[in-house]
Amino acid sequence: MNISYDVIKITAGVIATIGLYSILYKENRFYRLFEHIFLGLAAGYTIVATWKDTLYPQWWQKMMGQAAEGTNPAVPGYWVYAALLPIGLLAYLVFNKKHNWMSKIPIGVILGLWSGQQVQIWWNTWGPQIFSSMQPIIPTTFSPLSVPPTLEVVGGRVLPIADPARAAAVQQQISNNLFVTQALTNFIFVITFLSAFSYFIFSFELKGKLMTNVNKFGRWMLMIGFGAIFGSTVMARFALVIDRMAYIVIEWVQALTRGA
Amino acid sequence: MQKVDRRILYGILVVAVCVGLFFPSTIRTDPDPSSKSFYAEIQKLQPGSTIIVQTDWTNSTRGESLGHFENLMRLVMNGDHKFIFYSAADPAAPQVARTVIATIVAERKAQGLKEYRVGEDYVDLGYFPNAEATNTSMGANLRAAWAGRRSKMPDGNEIDIFKTPVLSKVQRIEDCQMMIVVTASQSIDIAVQRLAKKVPISALVTGVVGPTVLPFYQSGQIKGVAVGLKGVYDMEYLMEYGINDTEIEGRKYVTWDKPGAVKKIEKGTRFARGRQYYGTLHVALTLLILAVVMGNVAMFAARRRKGDQV
Repeated sequence: MNISYDVIKITAGVIATIGLYSILYKENRFYRLFEHIFLGLAAGYTIVATWKDTLYPQWWQKMMGQAAEGTNPAVPGYWVYAALLPIGLLAYLVFNKKHNWMSKIPIGVILGLWSGQQVQIWWNTWGPQIFSSMQPIIPTTFSPLSVPPTLEVVGGRVLPIADPARAAAVQQQISNNLFVTQALTNFIFVITFLSAFSYFIFSFELKGKLMTNVNKFGRWMLMIGFGAIFGSTVMARFALVIDRMAYIVIEWVQALTRGA
Repeated sequence: MQKVDRRILYGILVVAVCVGLFFPSTIRTDPDPSSKSFYAEIQKLQPGSTIIVQTDWTNSTRGESLGHFENLMRLVMNGDHKFIFYSAADPAAPQVARTVIATIVAERKAQGLKEYRVGEDYVDLGYFPNAEATNTSMGANLRAAWAGRRSKMPDGNEIDIFKTPVLSKVQRIEDCQMMIVVTASQSIDIAVQRLAKKVPISALVTGVVGPTVLPFYQSGQIKGVAVGLKGVYDMEYLMEYGINDTEIEGRKYVTWDKPGAVKKIEKGTRFARGRQYYGTLHVALTLLILAVVMGNVAMFAARRRKGDQV
């Protein structure tokens, strides 16, 4: 058998996969070995990638400059970039009892930059969602009750409306009106939104049958939402298992067949 | 029943999944509106458009993200778009992406389609630590944010990325037609917060991240999103049938509530990993539901027996 690099690579992946899944049987050294290999590889890879992709081109090369090469002219170095190293290294003084106050300088710079962005970030995140939560709930037309179709039946076939003028008219009707079914959907959204929101009112005690029932309904809506999120997470976890099995029973076998 | 060793359940799951993988089937579905929007947005781009691809996933979410990224590459290359890829979340992500791109390029080459070449058709920017700083600086000054990066060219030489055909005309992020974030983390939130007002953003996310991303879609902050394995299958389904495009037995196979059609993909691979995994997912979920039902029935039966004894 001609064992190619591809076969060796995928076989190593298969052994590592089986090793890591062996924890499902019980705690064992085979699992621990691959866990440590994984962590070591990840840490080593991060150091190399950070230097190669970031520190070298964005800091070292700018500081050192570049000699002329082929058609590329020489680039002068900017020595001021050297000042970044001691500022960054100050963070490690957190381990020194006498000088640990200095570690607050780089942390302060990072926190300052981060804090300065937060007002804009908050608005960029939530502003559009606040606006889109304000849904109209009163229909503007009762005829038809629901959104008119953009398809039509022609000779037993369901096709998009062929006449451009009629298609545009239907589109305009859809754009200009809020139909009963849409209003109902919006109403359900608004009720869900407000009731779920009311669950987080802790500033005063909710009294009365109406408020407690709204609060209870909100709790139900939240639970349904969390259930949907959990279901999505379970599907994601199953996808990982399916892929690992596909890696072993399909990709590995294919690689072996190709290599043979 | 309740005393069944969990390892037996794991064994049944592994066998069921492995068997399911050998019988991929096309399951009739109506793709999610957010997946349709994603597909429509990318399909309406003019050939030669420039797309920024932020790829923030590694093999730990390969089950979903690999299918997403493969489909994205097929769509981008089918549309003859140029793209730039980088990661702002994981140092290993660019290498994972390189491997997938090489696979898709080889697949297209075997099918007689255009072979994408680094430097000419796409640029590899590698890894940027700190997504917040990366996205903020991209929005403020793209040329400064990516300064110093070099790209390999097909002849083996390396040149500054802004001298490549991909980025030579790009001065600001607004010069790019779309940004797509393929992620298994909250890096999509960071991109939306900092860049959504400058460039149209779409996303391909895992099932875990999906529920937190959908509000961005509902409020129009992102143009489209495909979530989890269903999203992978949706995209393959749309590549196969389009929207208001393919007609089967007198009916458009996939429709939506907007006028016009979005074309299917004519050449190259459409159904692939999503089709293979989606049926298997149904097998696994059926097994899960059966286990939950049987466990509950056994629990109630045991309680009743215990109650009788008391």
